[in-house]
Amino acid sequence: MPPKYHIHVGSVPNRFQSITRSGVIAWEEGCLKCARCVKKDCVYKVYEKRGIDSRQMLESLDSACMDCFRCVQNCPNKLIQKGLNPAYKALGDSYWTPEIISGLWYQSEAGRIPVSGGGYGGAFSGAGFDAMWTDMSEIVRPTRDGIHGREYISTTIDIGRKVMALQFDEAGALTITPPPLVEIPLPIIFDILPWSPPREGINLAFLKGARSLGTFAVIRQSDFIPAMEEYIPNIILYIDGNLSDLDKSIIKGLRMAEIPYSNEAINAQKALKEINPGLVVIIRMTLNPHASEDVFRLTAEGAEAIHLCADEFGLEKADAPLFIKERIKEIHLRLVERGVRDQITLIAGGGIAMAEHMAKQIICGADMLSVDIALLVAMECRVCRRCKAGIACPVELESVDPLWGSGRIRNLMAGWQNQLLEILGAMGIREVRRLRGEMGRAMFFEDLEKEIFADMGKRG
Amino acid sequence: MDQKSAGLNITIFFCQQIDPDQDTNRRALEKELGKRIRFFPLPCSGRIDPLHLMGALESGADKVYLVTCPEGACRYQEGNLRARKRIAYTQGLIEEIGLERERLELIITPAGNPVTVDELARGLLAREALIGPSPIRG
Repeated sequence: MPPKYHIHVGSVPNRFQSITRSGVIAWEEGCLKCARCVKKDCVYKVYEKRGIDSRQMLESLDSACMDCFRCVQNCPNKLIQKGLNPAYKALGDSYWTPEIISGLWYQSEAGRIPVSGGGYGGAFSGAGFDAMWTDMSEIVRPTRDGIHGREYISTTIDIGRKVMALQFDEAGALTITPPPLVEIPLPIIFDILPWSPPREGINLAFLKGARSLGTFAVIRQSDFIPAMEEYIPNIILYIDGNLSDLDKSIIKGLRMAEIPYSNEAINAQKALKEINPGLVVIIRMTLNPHASEDVFRLTAEGAEAIHLCADEFGLEKADAPLFIKERIKEIHLRLVERGVRDQITLIAGGGIAMAEHMAKQIICGADMLSVDIALLVAMECRVCRRCKAGIACPVELESVDPLWGSGRIRNLMAGWQNQLLEILGAMGIREVRRLRGEMGRAMFFEDLEKEIFADMGKRG
Repeated sequence: MDQKSAGLNITIFFCQQIDPDQDTNRRALEKELGKRIRFFPLPCSGRIDPLHLMGALESGADKVYLVTCPEGACRYQEGNLRARKRIAYTQGLIEEIGLERERLELIITPAGNPVTVDELARGLLAREALIGPSPIRG
């Protein structure tokens, strides 16, 4: 067995105090001066370590408080209360919710998985990925001693075109040249951000993180700077400009490149392969209602990998857009039906905000995912989109230290990988490649609704 | 000259009840004035502590406003009344160190006349500048 892929985590503290769900409202006026104040009885000693961050006017009290409510309950004059923090409610939007953002911050700080001790208190079903549940009821053989035990659960993915059968001549020599494949230990690549403050430091953090994890970051041709040359083995260069503007030595050093989808995409792929035959070329396509037909045609023409990109809310580009999981499902099933699914690698991106989204997207038929905003959130982004409007970033992401940023990304990815392993372990699946398209391992709200309610009320 | 033209740095603490959509409404001013204006929404104006007010002055504010919900409308019953006491106490403290007490001001929003945080801040910026830049700014 090869050595286990394990992501080592470490504490990478916040640069800015994180915004908490609630804040302590403690009034001094009316204090009875009890001999033993409830504040002194705090088991977490939050009142003793009180400090204020005057940049953001955030109190250390709030982030240290564990919501045990002992002080609130025990103050004899009821001078301590807890109130919902308006800054927390303002985080993100209806898709990138405050709960998702704070969960990502928590994972990025130390690589731990968030555990909600009080059970799940949310809605039973919702939009997007919430209309789908992973199903562990058909466990074949769960892991004997946990995800980090003796058994090996692989999260490795091969990117590139696969040959369906080898051909040999009469002398027994191979007559075909197998196309190049790139193996990565995690079904995730880092994608171009839809918005961000000036991103030089952010991109370097992505690349540093990608290198330490053994994966890749997509870098736009126009964002490529000489300081990135040392990371070339971990760069997927998105060539959306003129190919002749690029130094050929850079293309020769690359293992993967990305090109925009067009009718000339296959010719562009050939042109790149003439410079570097070992290059895996990914075609980047905006997800749209015709995507399944386009993907099938590209597969037939010899495409190696296709990166299907939804927007930041996981929606395709259309007047009545479908959510990414629905469209990927359709594409995957179309390729399965035509018998060509295994030839090509499908990468799905856009709206991937949690570890469970990763597993759910793979179940819907993607080989792997691309992640974008979640990585920015790992570096304390609040998804306020002020940068998009030309307003200063409240957490100064433009001046992020790449070393610190890569540590946060690494922690987040460790948390996500552990959660993926938990899902695979519970399902009795030993490698993530086997999870692809395993729709029997999930329940879909629409299907259940149809199954249960469609015939109700029918007479006879 | 109004406070905006005088180039004063303004910090506004405000009760969240005033404008539920505060995060969106304040962006136009943030874009226009950059670091010259800072907004801090509070779960209740009674949460304000002299430390917050002093911290704002220390970090370069020339004028600090604390905006409370209308009297009798506090969801914690007495928060806005307590905010008034904190302001008065902190005004005394800054006077002792040689700063004008006008650098801190309490604004109580009138009942029955809801305003967005943007309208409110623009109204405050349009006020006559009675004080100059803070000596703490150096």
